Amino acid sequence: MELNQQAGIETSTARQSGMRSAGILFVACVVGWAVMELEILGVRIMVPVFGGAIYVVTGSIIGVFLLSLAVGYMIGGWLSGLGNPRRTLGTVILAAGVCFVVMASKHKTVCEAIFNLDWDVKWGSLLASLVLFGPPTALLGTVSPLVVHWLSEGSGRTGYWAGTAMAISTVASFAGCIVTAFYLVLYSLKTTLVATGLALVVLGALMLLIGIWVQRESVVRGSTNG
Amino acid sequence: MGNRLRCRVMGLALSVLAVLSLPVGAYVRDYGRMVVEKQSLYASIFVYERGSIRTLMFGQGMMTPVQSQVDLKAPRRHLLEYSELAFCGLFYQPQPKRLLVLGLGGGVIPREMRYYFPEMEIDVAEIDPEIPPIATKYMGFETDDKLKVHVEDGRVFIKKRLRHNPPQPKYDMVILDAFNGDYIPFHLMTREFLEEVKGVLADDGVVVANVFSSNRLFDAEFRTFVEVFGRAQAYFGEESTNVMLAAPGPAGPLLSMRDAMEKARAVRQDRKITFNLVEVAQRLAPKAEPEADAMVLTDDRAPVNWLREQESGTR
Repeated sequence: MELNQQAGIETSTARQSGMRSAGILFVACVVGWAVMELEILGVRIMVPVFGGAIYVVTGSIIGVFLLSLAVGYMIGGWLSGLGNPRRTLGTVILAAGVCFVVMASKHKTVCEAIFNLDWDVKWGSLLASLVLFGPPTALLGTVSPLVVHWLSEGSGRTGYWAGTAMAISTVASFAGCIVTAFYLVLYSLKTTLVATGLALVVLGALMLLIGIWVQRESVVRGSTNG
Repeated sequence: MGNRLRCRVMGLALSVLAVLSLPVGAYVRDYGRMVVEKQSLYASIFVYERGSIRTLMFGQGMMTPVQSQVDLKAPRRHLLEYSELAFCGLFYQPQPKRLLVLGLGGGVIPREMRYYFPEMEIDVAEIDPEIPPIATKYMGFETDDKLKVHVEDGRVFIKKRLRHNPPQPKYDMVILDAFNGDYIPFHLMTREFLEEVKGVLADDGVVVANVFSSNRLFDAEFRTFVEVFGRAQAYFGEESTNVMLAAPGPAGPLLSMRDAMEKARAVRQDRKITFNLVEVAQRLAPKAEPEADAMVLTDDRAPVNWLREQESGTR
């Protein structure tokens, strides 16, 4: 009887932790999708101002995404030591969502202003890419190390979770690429950016709220114990 | 996170921008032996030679459209219908002093304009740096102090001119010819782009665009032209699916078939034009209007490839 109860508790904890892992991986997927959607939409943002020359598209845009992701990975690594991953993740995802929404109405103004500096379009498009895509991509880049840290917390299986999170989020990136390039091209750029931004804002806010709630719970429990 | 995968997927996505192009009716269909094969950043460039006839193509295969075809022994001969149709702008502005052409190809349009209007100043914007040397070496094209080629995206070229203060002299004629081939630049078809073109166009000037009539992209282009310029007229090719859209500036006329033929006769006589310009005037469809529900293309939404795959409702 007592043994049975013990087993029941163990299964429900296992199920809980499985659900938790799935939830975290879902967040990684949304972020993986959003990064590549933005990269593809980046072409539609830049080309009307800086032209369709090959260095604008393959140089400035792709280059800036990789650089910003590198910055994001670095920062994410630092942030992962701060504790309460829900609040950190919620904050960066919410901030990235705000970047998307702002970009939807301001990208033309930013690009035109930089174009009118009268630089060579190579450098102009590079600067514009940095200003527009740098912040949201770096913010989304912090998610990978944060997710890996959270998933492997206490399990000692960091390599396994790193591999799983990267694989799943990169598959989501692939889907984001294909769907954006094949189908979202039919819709307004602005609408697509706002919709994706709002989705990120909602997801981020939700994680932030859960993070705050979980922290308060543990504080309450901690105080009754003491 | 899969950098190489990301680059490769990006390349795949970009190639989605390149969809089947429609064949342009060429008079000489056996192109002969290949004399140039060059891979540029934008196209696979091929030049073929048969007797004195040279053919420029971007890519190989049955469905590949001919970009340009010239008879080196008879340079006044227009082998492709579209380069004759492009002269329809003269019905609206018979005395152009400044011409802008977007897209060089084999250079037939600027070369022939230069020949018939020796006092005219011509700017050509061509994005692909490999094209001008090939046009010069193989297609009988030549630059000089009045005919200049700028290796630059056409839209960037226009935006830079708009930036000049005081504004540089405006163009009396703008010919948009960057639409054919596998490279479909959506940013050269939108309302915002045409607004910029309008900014460099003289009030009595004319904009001519070489487009294709066989799909819904044409309806959208026609509609976008009317949206920006208030009115536009279409000249439908007979041997090809080429159409010239012509939009006069605010001070320019709108023509009936009879007006167009009269103008054609006068210009032909004045400039001793060797091909039958009156036949070009007869291609005018004065009643043609864009479909009411056709899409206005904008920088925000211009699904050019998707529209290209839909059948046209106009005509």
